[in-house]
Amino acid sequence: MNRNSRFLKLLSLLAGTSLSAGEAVPLHEQIDGLMTKDWAAAKITPAVTSTDADFFRRLNLDLNGVIPTPAETKAFLDDRRTDKRPRAIDALLARPEYALHMARVFDVLLAERRLPAVKSYDVAATAWRGYLAESFAANKPWDVMAREILASDGSDESQPGAVKFYIARDAEPHQLTRDVARVFLGTDLQCAQCHDDPRFDDYKQADYFGIYAFVSRLSFFRDNKLNRSFVGEKAVGDVTFTSVFTTKQGKTDPRLPGGKMFADPKLEKGKEYVTAPSNSARGVPVYSRRKQLAEQMPRAETPGFSRNLGNRLWALMFGRGLVHPLDLHHAKNPPSHPAVLAAIEQWLVQHRYDIKGCLREIALSRCYQLSSELPGGVEPPVDAFAVSAMRALTPEQLRWSLLQAMGRMDTHFLRTLEQLKKTKPAEVETKLKDWHWKKDGYELLEKQSSAVIAAFSPLPGTDDSKIDPVVDHALFLLNSPKIIELIKVAPGTSFDRWGALSDPAALAEDLYLSLLNRRPIAQETEEVTGLMKSTKTPKERAEALQPLVWGLLLSAEFRFNH
Amino acid sequence: MQPNLTRRQAIARTLGLAGAAAMAPPALAASPHRKQLLVLFLSGGASQLETWDPKPGTKFGGPFRAINTSLDGVRIGELLPRTAKIMHKLAVVRSVNSNLPDHEKGHYAIQAGRLAPGYPVLGSAVAKLLEQPGDVLPGYITLRRDGPKAYTDTGDAGFLGAKYEGVRVINGLPPENLIVPAGINAAALQTRDAARRAADERFLRTHAKAPINGYGTTFDQARALMQRREIFDLKAESPKDIERYGRHDFGQNCMLARRLLEAGVPCVRVVHFDWDAHQDNFYWHQMRCAEFDRTFVTLLDDLEQRGMLEHTLVVVTGEMGRTPQINNFGGRDHWGRAWSVAMAGCGIKQGVVHGMTNDLGTEVKEDEVGIGDLFHTYLTALGIDSSADYHLNGQTNPVADPAARPIKAVLA
Repeated sequence: MNRNSRFLKLLSLLAGTSLSAGEAVPLHEQIDGLMTKDWAAAKITPAVTSTDADFFRRLNLDLNGVIPTPAETKAFLDDRRTDKRPRAIDALLARPEYALHMARVFDVLLAERRLPAVKSYDVAATAWRGYLAESFAANKPWDVMAREILASDGSDESQPGAVKFYIARDAEPHQLTRDVARVFLGTDLQCAQCHDDPRFDDYKQADYFGIYAFVSRLSFFRDNKLNRSFVGEKAVGDVTFTSVFTTKQGKTDPRLPGGKMFADPKLEKGKEYVTAPSNSARGVPVYSRRKQLAEQMPRAETPGFSRNLGNRLWALMFGRGLVHPLDLHHAKNPPSHPAVLAAIEQWLVQHRYDIKGCLREIALSRCYQLSSELPGGVEPPVDAFAVSAMRALTPEQLRWSLLQAMGRMDTHFLRTLEQLKKTKPAEVETKLKDWHWKKDGYELLEKQSSAVIAAFSPLPGTDDSKIDPVVDHALFLLNSPKIIELIKVAPGTSFDRWGALSDPAALAEDLYLSLLNRRPIAQETEEVTGLMKSTKTPKERAEALQPLVWGLLLSAEFRFNH
Repeated sequence: MQPNLTRRQAIARTLGLAGAAAMAPPALAASPHRKQLLVLFLSGGASQLETWDPKPGTKFGGPFRAINTSLDGVRIGELLPRTAKIMHKLAVVRSVNSNLPDHEKGHYAIQAGRLAPGYPVLGSAVAKLLEQPGDVLPGYITLRRDGPKAYTDTGDAGFLGAKYEGVRVINGLPPENLIVPAGINAAALQTRDAARRAADERFLRTHAKAPINGYGTTFDQARALMQRREIFDLKAESPKDIERYGRHDFGQNCMLARRLLEAGVPCVRVVHFDWDAHQDNFYWHQMRCAEFDRTFVTLLDDLEQRGMLEHTLVVVTGEMGRTPQINNFGGRDHWGRAWSVAMAGCGIKQGVVHGMTNDLGTEVKEDEVGIGDLFHTYLTALGIDSSADYHLNGQTNPVADPAARPIKAVLA
C-alpha cells in the first residue's frame, strides 16, 4: 500500500465511509447524509429548500460572481423541468464567467489584496489574472496550480503572472512562511515564529522554521531593463532559531509540518549557481529549495493541503468554512462537521483536486440549496449550516452585480459585438467560440466600476468571509458621485427598457427581476403602480422610478448573498 | 475614616455647601454624564525604559536620565518632562507581561484583552457595553494618519458586527461622501430612503435579524455623520489651540478626539505611529516622546478643565514594549514580557504606580499583570461589570477573559 492510498483509507475512516461505498455514493449525498445526522444529534431543524429565485441568484453569485440577468431569471423560473437546478449548475460552470470569477476569487485568496512595497513593481494584473483565468478555464487540478505558483520565479514566459504570490509579499521570507502555511495549509504559524505557540499544542516553532527554510534564501529582484519583477534565490544560508521562552536552540533543513527534512545535495564548491546573485543579476541556484517546496507540498500526504482546499471551497459556497477562521485549523479549533470535511477531502484526493467538480457536488447538495428564511423563525448557530447564511457581496460581486442590475453589462457586450461585426465580420464566429473575447470585454468594463472596488475592499490580508458592511460603505452608496454615475437615468441602461414599459405590472416584474432577481409581491407591484401614476412618457417613467431603483440597490436583499 | 469624595462633593465642601450636597446627592442633583473612553495607542511599541520605567545607569538603561515627578519617590524618563509634572493624576502599571512580541498579534490581543480570535477590541466592546437607546453617532471612532501598517486596524468589532466597527478618520479628514451631491432633490432622496426601509422591513420578517439590522444601522450612522459633520472641522478651533496641541498628526488627532468626545462619541482611539525603533532607538524616542509629552499633557488638562476627565477613561498603551537588550543598530526590538501601561480619569485612582520590574528591567518582579487583567480594569473603571457575558446570536461569550481580574490597586 503506498502512502497515498494509506492516506485515503484514513480519510475514509474519518468520513465514516468505506472506500468502495465512497465511490458509489456521490459527494453531495454524502454531505447531506452527514449533515442530517449532525442536525439530528444537535436537535436542529434545518431550513426548507430555497425557492427557485433564491437558489438561482445564489448560484449565479457563487459560480459566476454576478447576479443573473432578468431574462435568465425569468427563463429559469418558468422552466418546468424537474432537473432544472442541476442543469443550471452545469450551465454556469461551463460559462467563461466561471473561469473569470474563479480568477478573481483566487486572486484575493492567494494575493489577499496585497501589493509589493513599491506598488509599481507589482506583477501586471492582466498577467496574474490571465494565468488564473486560463487555469480555471482548463480546470487545472489544484496541486498543479499550487506547484506552478510556488515554483514560479517569474522567468517562465508561458506563465509570467504566476509569480504574484511571491511578489505581492516582496518575497520576504517571514511573510512567505506565514502565508504559505495559512493560504495553502490552513494553519497560522505566526506565533510559532518566536516560540512554540502557547495557545495550540500543534503549532511548533520547528514547523515554522521548517517552512521558513524553504523560502529563507529568496529575495525580491527588480529587472529595470525588462521592467519586471522576479524572485531571486541564494544557494547558501542555514536556518537556526532560538525560543524566546526557553532559549532552546534548533537548526533545521527545509521540512513540511510532520514531514521529513530535505537536506541540500552536495555540490562542488564554486558550482552552486546557474547565475550567481549580484546587483545586476538575479540569483539562480543549481539546487533550489523553492522548487523543492513546490515539488513536495502540493501532495495528499502533506497535512492540511487537501483539507485547506476543501475548507476554502466550502467557504466560497457558504460564506464560512467548516474550519473557521479559514487559516486557523488546530486541535482546539476543529471543524464544525469533521466528517463532512473529511468526505470532501477524500473526494478531492480521489478526483485529483478537481475544483470545478467539487463545487458542482457542493452546489448539488440539499445543504447548499437550503433557504435563507429562518426555520420556524429560529436562528440556528452559524456553524450548523442549517439555514443559508446572509453574506455581504464581495467587492467584486458587488461591482458586477451593480452593473448587471443597471443593464450596463449587456449593453457593453452588445456594443462590443456590433463593433466587431462592423470592423472584422469574418472573425465574429471564431471569436465568439473562444471565451477570450469575454475576458477582454470584462477588462474594459472594470473601468466603469473601479470606485466600487476601492470603496469596498477590506484591508490587505483579510479574507472575503470576514467582510462586514461599515458606515463608509453606506456613505459611498448614498452620496458618492461615482455611484450616482452608475445608477442614474442614462441611455444604454435598464432605464431604456423600464421607461418603455407602460403596463405597471409588467414594469414591476421586470424591475424586481432585474434588481432582486425575483418576481415582485402584490404590495411591491402596487408601489410601482403608485409611482407611475401621472407619468406619461418613457422619460417621465424612468425619472419617477430612479429613486425606487436606488432604494432597492441599498436594500439588504441586494447587498447580501442569501 | 474620611469617605471618598467625588470631585463635585469636594468642590461643594470647599465652597461651604456640604449641607446642600448631603441633602441632594450629586447623582440625583444632575444626571451623571455618560462614561467615555479615549485610547492613545503608541503603535509599534514604545520603550518602557525611555518612558514609564527607566533604569538609568544600568547595563540596558540607555543614555537618558530619570527625572523626579509630582509623585513622591517616583521617577520617569527625562523625555517626558511635562508628563512628570502630572504624575499625581495618573496610574501607571509597570508590570505588564503580555508575552506577545509581535505587532499584528499584539495589536489584537492587547486591545481585545485576550488571545482568542474574533472578540471585539476595547473601543468596540465599550461602544457596545455603554450603548444607550437613541444613540446615532458611531460608538467608536479611530483616528490616525495614513500609514502603511494595516495591522493598526486589525480586529475591531469581531462578533459584535459592523455596527461597532471603529469608524476610521485618516489624516484628520472626515469620512468621505458626507455631503449629498448637488442636483438631487429632497423628495427623490425621501423616496429612496423609504424604499430601502420598506424593502428591509419585508426582508426582516423571515430572515436573520442581525445582518439586516447591522446593515441598516450603517445608514443611520451615515445620516448622523452627515448631519453633524462639523464635529470633524478642526478649522473651528483657535490657532492658539492648534498650536497648543502641536502641529503634527498626533497633536491634531488628539484635538479632534477631544472634539469628538465633547460631541458625545462614546469611544475614541488615537494612533501615534512609529515607535518601532529597531534602529536608533534613542533618537527615535526623543522625537516620539517630544510629540507625545506635550500633546498628552495638553489633552489631559483640557479634559480636566472642561469637566470631562471625571467621566472619561484615558488609556495609554501600545501593542508591546521594547527589549531591554540594545541591538547592534542601537535599537530595541519587540518585547512583551515586562513593560508599562498608563491610565487616567474616570474610575482610576490618581497617583499610583503598580508593579515593579527587576533592576535591569528584564523581568516583572512584583504584581505581574496580564492583558486580560488590563481589559478587566478598563471596563471596571468605566463602571461595566467585567464578569458579565455577551448573549448574541445564540452564543454566550464572556465580556472579559474569565481567568483574569481587574487590578484593584489602580481603581478608584
